[in-house]
Amino acid sequence: MALIQQPRPTAAPQTSLLRAWWFLVLLSWRRQARARQMVWIALGLLAFTTAMTAVATAADLWHRPRFRQLAVADQMMLDALVPGSPAQAVADATFGAAGVAVLTDQSAAQVFARWVVAAIFLGFLLPLWSLSFATEAIGGDREQNSLIWLLARPLPRPMVYLAKFVALLPWTVGLNMGGFALVCAAAGRPGLTALRLFWPAVLCATLAFAALFQLMGAAFRRPAIVAIGYSFFLEIILGNMPGVMKRVSIGFYAHCMMLEAADRHGIQIDRPNVYWPVDGTTAIIVLLTTTVTLLVMGMVVFSRTQYHDSV
Amino acid sequence: MSELSSIAAAGGGNRGVEKEFSRDPKGSAKTSGRSRDPARQLLPTPVLLCQRVSKWYGPVIGVNQVTLELRPGITGLVGSNGAGKSTLMRLITGHVRPDIGRVEVLGRDAWSAAAKRHIGYCPEVDSFYEEMSGRQFIETMARLSGYTSGEARRRTGAVLERVGMSGRAERRLRGYSKGMRQRIKLAQAMLHDPELLVLDEPLSGIDPVGRAEFISLFRDLADQGKCLLVSSHELDELQKLTDHVAVMARGRIAAVGSVAQIRDRLDDHPLTVRVDVARTTEEGGKDRRRELAGALLRLPDVVGVELLDDAPGEEDVGRLLVRARNPRTFFQDLTRLVLEEWFEVRRLQTLDESAEAVLGYLLGGRG
Repeated sequence: MALIQQPRPTAAPQTSLLRAWWFLVLLSWRRQARARQMVWIALGLLAFTTAMTAVATAADLWHRPRFRQLAVADQMMLDALVPGSPAQAVADATFGAAGVAVLTDQSAAQVFARWVVAAIFLGFLLPLWSLSFATEAIGGDREQNSLIWLLARPLPRPMVYLAKFVALLPWTVGLNMGGFALVCAAAGRPGLTALRLFWPAVLCATLAFAALFQLMGAAFRRPAIVAIGYSFFLEIILGNMPGVMKRVSIGFYAHCMMLEAADRHGIQIDRPNVYWPVDGTTAIIVLLTTTVTLLVMGMVVFSRTQYHDSV
Repeated sequence: MSELSSIAAAGGGNRGVEKEFSRDPKGSAKTSGRSRDPARQLLPTPVLLCQRVSKWYGPVIGVNQVTLELRPGITGLVGSNGAGKSTLMRLITGHVRPDIGRVEVLGRDAWSAAAKRHIGYCPEVDSFYEEMSGRQFIETMARLSGYTSGEARRRTGAVLERVGMSGRAERRLRGYSKGMRQRIKLAQAMLHDPELLVLDEPLSGIDPVGRAEFISLFRDLADQGKCLLVSSHELDELQKLTDHVAVMARGRIAAVGSVAQIRDRLDDHPLTVRVDVARTTEEGGKDRRRELAGALLRLPDVVGVELLDDAPGEEDVGRLLVRARNPRTFFQDLTRLVLEEWFEVRRLQTLDESAEAVLGYLLGGRG
């Protein structure tokens, strides 16, 4: 080994914090691609939910039997009328195929939104999918003891945390929005209606969940377990409690955004006097503020925490 | 506390060490290892300054009131496993924060990002981004330091050459041997040309040829005016590298200086040792404690022997306090005496923790 003869790096540093930060974003984004256990579970659940939705669509389960009976009765009445009479014109306008179709579609969208989007997707899948990537952002490096390589570099810790969050977003938003679109597509017309109405709520909730679960990765040694516990107990149980208790959950505000969007479309997912929602604008503000607050909290926690076990 | 406190203080931090070895009127444990650049030696700001640093892990103390000042050159940090070497290194590299005291690198708080520009850290932790090749890993570290792509490639090539890895850097890290991983760790530490290199057991897992190369490299870095703190639990290994060592034991820096200096001072200062001996043999007979005291007083290095009161409930055990010079000779004589005269020693304890640790280390035991 010819040690002294080799060219030495120059002492003058031509370094840029911004360049280092951007490289960390790209590095973290690439490393997030290495799917781990929780991501495989999330993808498995996506496949299962999509398949079940497709089966339900094929079995025409989104249309309520009452609406199907009404449609048949209306058609029988139309058939009984004398062709060309004034009564037929009035009846066509009131009970005709177009009107029945609108009513039936709305009914199907309502069933799909209530039982699949609100109950299964928002209450269960969305938090679970969010945590699969978000807890890995910092938690993965801690688990693999590779955090030391980031903390040994001259990047301020808040910048490291922010870079991890930015790198995380394409994956989390991609999985949640893409998964939501896939499930909706499997439901046919009611699903597409739900997708058009509810994607902003899914996006806002995704951002808030991502910020929350990344914070858990910075704060806890086993973030996935803590995040699963949070999802089940706080989002599912507390999020479905009557009264104002549910307002501490992220899912509540996404639900409120959905309620308002559905209401504008003439669909009622929940009865307002029972659910006690906040208005859509308030819900958006709360979700975005929560995202920013959790992000800042995470930066502070990450900046102050000494990762004895990972360095 | 024994008179050995001037070498290693048992209860008052490292003050004893400071008084004995410091060339600084303020009394810090100042070391300046091997460096041929006198201008660097006279830098107004030390490269590393630890001021009465303590660190607890819950109820356990990891580092206890350590004061250390390093200037360019190589300083060895020795101590047994659990002595606090790695904790001290993590404090110096800003991975953990002291509960008490302050750690500064070139005048900047070691915890800050600004200080990290001046620190190269070769940790003991042996995990990388395993999916990368050695070259990719080093280049990634360079990019994370803020270098442009071209500059990162240039620096990566240069440091890989310096650690003898340029021909083997394309392989995946997960397939590397321990020695190759050590070389990669060292390469990333040198990447940004830092003033302070903190190397935690860098020679561990390296074959003899590699060790010689590393030692040559470290000397070369010191000659360039870098400040190196190199830890090891093998004193002999460090002695090949530098004459300046800090002995760490139970979280304290028990002694700082050259190994010869530390040994000389230990020999010059009386040591207090407690010896508990069975009063009678199985056959009964005379008070063996008095016999031992008489025999000890005849040893050339024993300064005095004091008979202590019996502990309640332990009347069959006689307790002695022995004060002796030249610890190494004394312990050899004591061992011979005990074996020849068949004394049943129940307990042998040096009453100065730090001195005991240094002794343990220098005599080849545990610190």
